[in-house]
Amino acid sequence: MLGDSRKAQDVFHATLREAAVRAARGELPAEQFWLFRDARWRCLEATKSDLQPESVEMDERDVAPEAESQIQRLDPMQLAIWISAAPDPQRSALALFYLDEFDYREILDIADLKLSELSRFLAKGRRQLQAWLDSKFPQPSKV
Amino acid sequence: MKLLSSIRRQRSLLNCAPISARQLADRPMRSAISRADGSAEFVDQQNFDRAVARVVRLIAIPAESAEWFSEKDLVPISKRTWKKTLRNPAVLAISIAVAVIAGVFVFNFVSHLNDFPGSATARKLLGVAASTRPVVLDPVNAEAGTLSDLFFMKHGLEHYDVPAEFSDFATIGCRVFEDDESRRIAQIWVSEKRMQFFLFPAERDSKSGAVMGFPGWRYVHQEGWTGAVTEHSGVCFMAAVRGRDSDLEPYLKPADK
Repeated sequence: MLGDSRKAQDVFHATLREAAVRAARGELPAEQFWLFRDARWRCLEATKSDLQPESVEMDERDVAPEAESQIQRLDPMQLAIWISAAPDPQRSALALFYLDEFDYREILDIADLKLSELSRFLAKGRRQLQAWLDSKFPQPSKV
Repeated sequence: MKLLSSIRRQRSLLNCAPISARQLADRPMRSAISRADGSAEFVDQQNFDRAVARVVRLIAIPAESAEWFSEKDLVPISKRTWKKTLRNPAVLAISIAVAVIAGVFVFNFVSHLNDFPGSATARKLLGVAASTRPVVLDPVNAEAGTLSDLFFMKHGLEHYDVPAEFSDFATIGCRVFEDDESRRIAQIWVSEKRMQFFLFPAERDSKSGAVMGFPGWRYVHQEGWTGAVTEHSGVCFMAAVRGRDSDLEPYLKPADK
């Protein structure tokens, strides 16, 4: 979400601290994903003061069958930075989806999205990521 | 229009198709996947998502934060104390049931601890003693010890002798009757503490027919009555009194010496 381990750590600790305080007061919300929602808002707050990505139209390509081999060559940190550079709520959608810990209904709940929005963000994200992969690891042109 | 909306929704669901099967809990999602399964586009999407998820899993978590996800529990799991366990309704119910069963078992065990051959008959006769009225007995004015001749002469009962400990007591009445197993029982009522004596055949081994004797005096109890039983020559004698063992003990002591 943040593409910065130090900031991620600060957000993580702040979220846990808040949860501990609430628990001590017996004020833990009844809703299931409040902690994740809280963490997400903290991430968004933390990036408000950062340099914002320019709203440029990124290239998009359809997902290619060779994408798997391209992704394997990716450095995990590069991918983290790429996801964190996406505008929210697409960033939240991609981060929560690729964590592979939540099903789509849970993601809708945490990120306050509709199914059509989540679907759009993920499809767009895949196409943009494919374009980025193609530019980073160009495939030999087929004859 | 409805068909179009359904196709659009299905397309939306497929775009959100789970990466791993463990997130596959939703019926509409399962249905959408089963329809699209095998299509090249969907296969590419799934492979793409799985590959990205694998790389995401490799993103390093800061060491300080990773500590929180160590094997140690963040919140120590409260150990179940004995008190908590005992307060559990299921445990409580089972405990009570086991206690009742154990109680019945112990009661049966203790009540049969002092069993001896003929104790069952002796208990039945204590019930007879409790319900007998003097009028049902033939009035007799003699010492209890002398009645053995009467039982022999009149009823043909051999060895129906009152032991020496009780032979001097004055008799109010006596009778001979048959119990529900057609055994002939002699009943004597004496004036001393309104005691009743019973003489009945000792139990015999069902195979050999040998008398199953036992030494000394044995106590039996039934409905507030106490009986002291002894066996001699194949006949059991029981002195029955309403009360406890201590009411009979003084009469039995001289015999022990």
